[in-house]
Amino acid sequence: MQLLGQDLVNGILAGGILAVVALGFSLVWGIMNIINLAHGAYIMLGAYLTYQLFQTFHLDPFLSLPVSFAALFVLGYLVQRLLINWVARAPVLTTFLLTFGLSLLLVNVALLIWTGDTRGVTTSYSGANFSIVGITIPWAKLYTLLVALAITGVMHVWLTRTKTGRAIRATSMDIGAAQLSGVRTAQIYAIVYGLSAGLAGVAGTLISLSYALTPTMGDPFLIKAFVVCVLGGLGSVQGALIGGIVYGIVEAFATQIDVTIGTQHISGSGLQDAIALVVLLIVLIVRPTGIAGKATA
Amino acid sequence: MQHRPLLIGALALTMALASSGAGVQPAAAAGDTIVFGSPISLTGNLTKEGHLTQEGYDFWKNYVNAHGGLKVGNKSYKVEIKYYDDESKNDTSAQLAERLIDQDHVNFLLGPYGSGTSFTVAAIAERKKIPMVEGNGAAERIFNQGFKYTFGVLAPAKRYLEGVLDMAHSQKPAAQTVAITAASDAFSQEVAQGAAAWANAHGMKVVYNNKYPDTATDVSSVISALKQANPDLIVNAGHVQDALLVQKGLKEQNVPAKAYGYTVGPDTPDFVNSLGKDANEVFGAAQWSTAVKYRADHPGFYNTAKDYAKAFEAVYHHAPDYHNAESTAACLAFQYALQSAGSIEPQKVRDALAKLDVTTFYGILKFDERGLNVYKPMVVNQIQNGKLVTVWPRGLAEASAQYPARPWGKR
Repeated sequence: MQLLGQDLVNGILAGGILAVVALGFSLVWGIMNIINLAHGAYIMLGAYLTYQLFQTFHLDPFLSLPVSFAALFVLGYLVQRLLINWVARAPVLTTFLLTFGLSLLLVNVALLIWTGDTRGVTTSYSGANFSIVGITIPWAKLYTLLVALAITGVMHVWLTRTKTGRAIRATSMDIGAAQLSGVRTAQIYAIVYGLSAGLAGVAGTLISLSYALTPTMGDPFLIKAFVVCVLGGLGSVQGALIGGIVYGIVEAFATQIDVTIGTQHISGSGLQDAIALVVLLIVLIVRPTGIAGKATA
Repeated sequence: MQHRPLLIGALALTMALASSGAGVQPAAAAGDTIVFGSPISLTGNLTKEGHLTQEGYDFWKNYVNAHGGLKVGNKSYKVEIKYYDDESKNDTSAQLAERLIDQDHVNFLLGPYGSGTSFTVAAIAERKKIPMVEGNGAAERIFNQGFKYTFGVLAPAKRYLEGVLDMAHSQKPAAQTVAITAASDAFSQEVAQGAAAWANAHGMKVVYNNKYPDTATDVSSVISALKQANPDLIVNAGHVQDALLVQKGLKEQNVPAKAYGYTVGPDTPDFVNSLGKDANEVFGAAQWSTAVKYRADHPGFYNTAKDYAKAFEAVYHHAPDYHNAESTAACLAFQYALQSAGSIEPQKVRDALAKLDVTTFYGILKFDERGLNVYKPMVVNQIQNGKLVTVWPRGLAEASAQYPARPWGKR
């Protein structure tokens, strides 16, 4: 019983990070219809930026969150304006190729700067934890979850209550109508893409606290972002959060699956990814728009 | 439509820059040069280990070339090594091996990094009948296919953690129970099986034994389950990245154990650099350490581990770890096989490799009928105050093991 409680907590804590990872990915996909394969590379850059600030200036990773966000926002904004805008309405394969190339480029640049050495950000409070009713909770991961919740909340309010946020949603619903109403869609696209990269940067900072840094560290997160996004519902802020946490919990519980049928011993551990994908399939059959997705025309 | 030229330009630029990672090197030279080919992990998740491998190969190459080349028969040959980046991918590695043989006409293959890549490349070596010596793929699966052209200088994966288990089992108070966690790749799984078999045979109880995907980004649930089993000894079979993930996870959940042992991880400086004090008192299984006391019985290279380490450090500014040494050892196997074959003809060199029996700074180089070096034992290192010291077997120990481990935060 205690193990189940611990797993639930582990799952929620891991899911918080996945939610931030998927949020930016989901925005670009849902609003611009671009599957951004460079998202993992932006996460990696956010993590390395955090590492560098931590090494050089001993800046606490949580304090470097705004820096990661701002730096990656600017990078994303420029990439969108100077590169992706040219192909924004081209067939999906074109943007696919472009963002894939961009990802390779960024990973190789990181390899040149930071080499292939595995690095880590180990703070003085790294590993510090507390226990409630026998369930251990690491402080750093708890803060990470709180940051994830706060970001999701802010994003939700920003998209629904501000003028720019509404313009973004209008563009996503009907780009022609948005343009007729005076929305500068090129500008909106650049903001969305910048925002997405900025969120990836934030995710990178949060990930650097628990995960080891290498130039290709973004790859597994990119794949997870994909699943979380579809699971939760495309382009939806709540969807990313729900999808992330569901994914985290499914993975955590999958680890403990341990059944013996006849002489066949089946262990869920090692198959977490596969089990999470099965859950995705089931969700898609029952709710094709994802858990929190809305049907669109 | 007017955007199209720009689009094509942008794509072309991106792709050109991206593919430049593979590098352009001079084509294989014929004549008085022996060309070795190696697909190697210069990018991807095994980048770190790939670079260590390359350093080990290059160090040998530069030594040989600086000492007048390799004398084979009556002729002296310069040595060249041609690398391609396999991006740490098994199928890419195999394709590149084929390219090295068919297009670059390399004479021999030096192995890639890792069991997965070594396995696929071994199949190519077999088909093309080009001998390969590898120093970085320890999974026995590679050697159980009946391949005749692949030789591995490593002690096999199954024996990787034996030293750690033996060490912990011999301490006072002895470790009676062990928890085993392993990544899902071939090498790590064989290590885990070997560790469980050793424990069962020696009266240690395996209280937890499970795997996680080798691309795992979170292992906290594995750690939670392991913690419940309350083991004396925790061992992990994996690679640097997941070793770090596990070690951080153990601290996060306050898992108390008498000892913690890893396969790949503690031996690379990255482990200490990343974890700081949390790396202390951790044990690492190693194929080799600078403390081993072998003495080379053939001339032509450094005689002892100490000499090798000193010269290596002068070039690369870090002490050689076992990945460096085993990679150099793979080259040495070729060096002595070529000399005893007296020819660079692939078939003759293969036969000479099969009969090889030399001792080097790295230990014995001798292969069983499967091509596996079952004759060389493993050593156990421990990180003590941020420094890696050899603690097992006792005959080679530089210091006694710090055991049992002190509580987290006090190391």
